Parts: sequence; structure tokens; C-alpha cells
Amino acid sequence: MNPLSNRPALGGLRILDLSQVAAGPYATMFLGFMGAEVIKIESLSRMDINRGKARPSPDDLRVYPNGNPGEHPWNTTAHHVHRNINKRSLTLDLSAKRGKELFLELAKVCDVLVENYRGSVMDRLGLGYDVVSRLNPGLIYMKISSQGANGPEANYGSLGSTLEQTAGLASITGYDDGLPLMTNLVYPDPVVGILSFGALMTALRRRLKTGSGCLVDLSQREVTTMLLGEAILDFSVTGRIAGTMGNRHRDMAPQGVYPCSGEDMWVAISVSSDEEWKSLCRVMGQPHLASNSRFADPKSRRNNHDDIDLVISTWTKTQDHYRVMYLLQAQGVPAAPVLKGGEVVDDPHLESRGFWDVVDHPEAGTYKQVTTPWLLSNNPRATSTPAPGLGEHNYQVLSGLLGLSKSEINALAQKGVIGNTPTD
Amino acid sequence: MTTANNNLLSDIKVLDLSQGVAGPFSTKLLAGLGAEVIKVEPPGTGDSSRSSEPFLNGSPTVENSALFSYINTCKKSVTLDPATPEQAQAIRKLAQDCDILVESFTPGHLDSLGLGYGDLSEENPGLIYVSVTPFGQTGPYSQYKGSDIVAQAAGALMYTIGLPDKEPLKVGGESGLYATGVSAFSASMLALYVRDTQGAGQHVDISAMEVMVVSQIHSSIYAQFGRTPMRRGTNLVRAKDGWVSPGLETGVQESTWLKVCQLIGKPELVDDPRFTTMEGRRANQQDLLDVIAGWAGTKPKEEIYHTLQALRTITGYVATVDDLLVSQQLVYREFFQSISDPVFGEVAHTGAPFRMDGSALELRPAPRLGDHNEEILCQRLGYSMSDLGLTSATKGEQVEPPFE
Repeated sequence: MNPLSNRPALGGLRILDLSQVAAGPYATMFLGFMGAEVIKIESLSRMDINRGKARPSPDDLRVYPNGNPGEHPWNTTAHHVHRNINKRSLTLDLSAKRGKELFLELAKVCDVLVENYRGSVMDRLGLGYDVVSRLNPGLIYMKISSQGANGPEANYGSLGSTLEQTAGLASITGYDDGLPLMTNLVYPDPVVGILSFGALMTALRRRLKTGSGCLVDLSQREVTTMLLGEAILDFSVTGRIAGTMGNRHRDMAPQGVYPCSGEDMWVAISVSSDEEWKSLCRVMGQPHLASNSRFADPKSRRNNHDDIDLVISTWTKTQDHYRVMYLLQAQGVPAAPVLKGGEVVDDPHLESRGFWDVVDHPEAGTYKQVTTPWLLSNNPRATSTPAPGLGEHNYQVLSGLLGLSKSEINALAQKGVIGNTPTD
Repeated sequence: MTTANNNLLSDIKVLDLSQGVAGPFSTKLLAGLGAEVIKVEPPGTGDSSRSSEPFLNGSPTVENSALFSYINTCKKSVTLDPATPEQAQAIRKLAQDCDILVESFTPGHLDSLGLGYGDLSEENPGLIYVSVTPFGQTGPYSQYKGSDIVAQAAGALMYTIGLPDKEPLKVGGESGLYATGVSAFSASMLALYVRDTQGAGQHVDISAMEVMVVSQIHSSIYAQFGRTPMRRGTNLVRAKDGWVSPGLETGVQESTWLKVCQLIGKPELVDDPRFTTMEGRRANQQDLLDVIAGWAGTKPKEEIYHTLQALRTITGYVATVDDLLVSQQLVYREFFQSISDPVFGEVAHTGAPFRMDGSALELRPAPRLGDHNEEILCQRLGYSMSDLGLTSATKGEQVEPPFE
């Protein structure tokens, strides 16, 4: 047993989190899971967009627990509850003089600042890297932006779905008809969030060696472009332009998703060797196909893929999607059910690995929370604390960290610099 | 000006036993920050990605895969088979002297060869041992095989991707495995920081399925809140030379809508009740896209992107790989870096995924199979090739991939 076991990996680190939407909040969520203290800053007039509207319209109700926004809708949206776990909430009006002063006081006692505003918002507020790094030379300032900190498109607006386009990912995602498609899931955001965490670890390690902080400039578009790097190499050498190919693979055949019993149920199968092909044929009860020369090697299987798909679909159609995985994986064939959001939270494998945290949110109820995309043997995740209500930790942060008196804090609330009810 | 900043991890040695995409992508990033990465490949065939299409000069040899060339930059290649005892001993020696070991074997396999975390950490307690597998080290699926599509399926990522009347669709390329590699990179850096501050190494367990569950971002919480996310239609409109998303249905101010109507030559739409409010434009999205399509179809996609973005809309255009290399933004930021390869000529690579002090990613061509056998196995460890039962022909040999 290691004597250092079970210490929080990032205990003692303090993060000032100005980030919104998905990529930044994901990065700071991971920091919180690994034991860092994350202080999330929002203003009463501009909450994290994840919190939804102060007064949701009937169209917006789908993002609340069972469609019920509760007394404080901004504390119960799915996005906020899910992405802002393990953080403290401080409201601060950064356009007010006193708000700026308090922000800079906080920046002095933090290790990391994360923001993902468009272009130069922080500079315009007078709170940019030049200002905060003078006050705290050890501060690591992480700027996550759609296009990077500079360049002609630095101030362009973007969403996960537009990044998938401008980074090229959509050009290789789609069915075989060539129509590019986006993921509906803002795929670049979580991936950027995971990478941002590693970038911060790199910067923190650099600080251990050099004693100084730095600006970390991360462009979501650039990170997303890395997901098709081999297509870029290929184009630069051969001039070939990669396109969509549905669920098929350049090498593996057959590969695809096949219908199973039940409503909109599917199983994914990919065959990477002749041996796996033979096993698939055996499991389907069609051992003779294994010796058919039309399917004998990957190239032939790619050429006759439609015929193979028909055979597989005919078999899977009457099967449960989990059962297909069990049958095929038992014979060494890569396969998995295409799980829905509601199925994955009940999956026995994830359950046995302790992937989910069961969180009891005071306003949103009990639910299973996505955790970290890694497990460390010595430093398990911190116990989850539910996503904070707006301004829930105003007093704790301002008094505990900055030493403000109760009357000073009350005065700030009077002036609307802090609070716990959004202004619109 | 960007310069290669190779001192961030110049004190770090990485032993990379992993194959395919995910593990090797994580060590590419470590190598790009200055770590020495020694890649251990099966003699003869090499890493499985060496057999992957597309090939850069037509002929399918182990030195010719675009995928391999992309994800193995800046590494050294040695050929060793962990199932051969004397070669396993060489791996053990390399592991004694490394900071991070990355592997992607079926859980338990390396333990059975005396190369598991327990064995190696006894000799090297600071070792960070990163296992990158389809389903992780524990649990009922731990012995299962995976692939990019299997991860995207099991992780509930792909169910909601694609069109409503068609089957679920995976994100293209090897996106799920790249994300898994990103996760392995970030976790490696986390474990390194913990070792620097707390003193010990540890075993890091990366499951591609879990990376995908993290990346599906809201399906699991929506489902628990009573909402079923479904596949849905696309908001892309055809431009003269490709596709754009005009982005007028969200976040556009009234004054912008006025300008858009003038721009597309339909001033009468300014007062059209279907489009005057954001809610209206959202509710009548298809009508709106049809209106825009008439204008967009005559204009190049990038022109539409810049013209509408100038009106502060959130517009996108579908860049294909050729567009990326000439994108004004990516060119301005010098994101792509060119490597001069003796066989392929100039090869374009993506550069640094994040920048500190303006640093770039260090890039050198991926190694030929066994390129560093002499340097690492003979000079550094003191073996002769015959001690290890390796023929010198293994070095750099052009071998047909097994599947062709």
C-alpha cells in the first residue's frame, strides 16, 4: 500500500473560473474532481449560459428535471447541474469598479484562471493577462477560444456545431451520400475540455520548474483539426480530399451499425482480421461464408460490403443489442450496443467500475453524474459536491478568502455587485 | 513567430508499448513537448497503424501509412516482442529508466509476461504506467475488443448523431480514439504533476468507452431529466462550392436581420412575421434556410462565412482538408507545420494544440520500423541484435502489411 494513497491529486490548487458553455466548464469540472478548489464567477446580468433563462418560456422547459424549473430555474438546468459540479459560485459584476477590484484581489490568490470569452473581452474589461500577471506572476491564465487569441477570425462567433465545420470534422462525418453532418453533441467541446486539463497540468509542471506562470492560448478549431490529421497529411502528399464514408472504415470490414430488436436499437460491429470474420460467421450460424472467396480478405470484404451488411442485419434484427455484443465478444469480435443516454447510466460495466457519481442536488434531485475520463490508482476522485446555486458561495469566498466583513459584503449585495437572483 | 519549445518535458522519458491510434496519439503529444519517446513495435509488421490506409505513395508498406506518419512524429522505434523472454527483459530494462510507460494490451496480458504495473513499479516506484484500452482495466467488459465505432456506440455518443430516418452515425475518421488519446495525454500530465508534488508514480486506467461517455456531454443527464435526445435534421445550406450553416436562427439581433435581408436581396422579409424574432426564425427554420439557400447557392462558402460573420452572426462553413491548409486564420496562426520527408517530400502536419509563450509542437518525421534498435538496444542497453534473437533485417525493412 502506498503511504501517499488517497490524497486529492490537486489539493491546494485554487482555480478562478470565468468560463461558460461547455469546453471551459468541462476543464474546470475535471479540476474539481481531482481536488482543486474551483471558484466559478458569473454576474447577475450575465450568468453562465448553461443556467438558462431567469424566467424560462414554455419552450425551454425540456432542460429541467422532469420539465419542472422549480423556484430557481437557473440552479436546475441539465447543463448547469451536470457541468458545474464540484465548483463554488461567486457572483461579481466585472463592469463595476468594486467588482473589478475584488476580481483582481482573487486573481492574486489563485493558481489558475480559465476563461473562454470571445477575443479580447477580458482586455476590454481591463482584466486581461497583462494586468493579472503583473499582480500574480505565478498565475496560469488559460484562454480557451474558438479561433485562438489572435488572427483575423479571433472575434468570430462560434458554436460547437460551427467549429465542427470550420475545423474540417464535418467534412469527414456523414453517410456515404457526401452530405456533411455535425454531431448534434458539440463534440469538440468535451474533447477540448479534456485537452485543456492536460494543457493546464503542463503549465503547472512548468511553473514548478520555473516558478512563473504563463498564458496558455488554446484554439478549439485547431484542437478539432487534430482529429483529422492523417487526412491532412494525405492531402498534402497525394492531393486526395477525404470525405464521408458513413460508418465504414478504411481498413476494417465489415464495419457498421446493424438493427436489433426493439425501437431504434442498434449494435456496432467492426471486424479487423480474417480470424474475427470467421468468428462472426460462426456466431451468425453461417460458417460457410467464412470460406467464400468473395469475403476472404479485407479488400474483398470492402468490395462486397453491402452483401455482408445484408447478412449481418438479417441476423441482428431479431436479437437484443446487448446479446449481440455478448455473443460476439465471447468469440473475440469487436462489438457493442449503440447505447442511448438512458441505457448508458444503467450499464453494468460502468456500474462495476464506479464510473458514475450519484449526486443529490438540493434543487434538481438525485441523478448519476459523468465523472472523469481517467482513473488514477493513488488519487481517486474527490467526493462530488452538487453544482452550486447562483451566488451560493459569495459570503464564503469574499469573507474566507478576501477577509471582507459582513457589512462590506451586505453593502456589495445592496449595490447589486453580488447577489443570488439574476437581474433579468 | 512560433518556435519549438522543447524544454517542457525534456527531462521525461516515455516507453510506448501501445499500438493503434489512442495510446500513440497521447505519446505524440508528449514527444511534441520534448519528451524522449521510445516506441516498441512488434518485429516484422510493426505497429498495427503501419498497415492502415491511406498510404502516402500508393504502395502499402510499413513506412507508408498517413495515419502512422501522423501519430508517431518525434518518436524512436525499436522492435521487441514482449512475449519473447529475452526481449521482454530488454523492455524491463527500458522501463526501469523511464518516467511514463504507455500500453494498450488486453488487461492482464503484460502481467502474464512479468511486465505489469506491479512488476515494473517495484523496480521503479516513480513509474507512471498508463493503460489505454477499449473498456478499462476492470469490470465485465475489460477483456472485450474495441475500435473507434465500438467506443462511440458503447459510450452513447453516436446514438444521437445522424439523420432521424437513418441509422446512428459515428463521428468521422478515428475521432473517438483520438479523444481517448487526448485523455491519456492529459491523465499522463496529471500523474506527472502529482509525482512532482507528492512523490510517487501510479497506474492510470483509460477506457475509451468512458472517454466517449464523457464526450456525449448531455445525453445521460437529459435522459435522467426526462428528455430523450434524438437524431435530428441538419441546418446546412448548399453554397456554390460546398456547405454553410448561416446561423441566423440563434442569437441574431433585430438590426442584423435587417442587414441580412438587404444582403440577400429580400428587403420584403424584414417585416415577415415568420422571421422577425429569434423565436420565429427558430420555429420556421426550414423556411428560413430555404430563403437563404437561394442566395447562398451562388456564393462561395468562405465568402458567406466572412460576410455573415461580419454582421456578428454565428456562421459556419464546412472546410474540407484542402480548405484548412489555406484558411486565413490557421495560416495567420502558423498552425500547420511542414516536415520535409526524404520519401514523401513536404508533408503538412497539424501543430501545437495549445501554446505557452508562443511555443510550437516539436515535429520530426515518424521513425522507420526499428530505426533506433542500434541506438537504444545496442548502444544504450549493451545488447547485440543476436543476443535478442533479432535479425538486423528487422531494421527498417519494408514489409507488406498482413492484410493485403
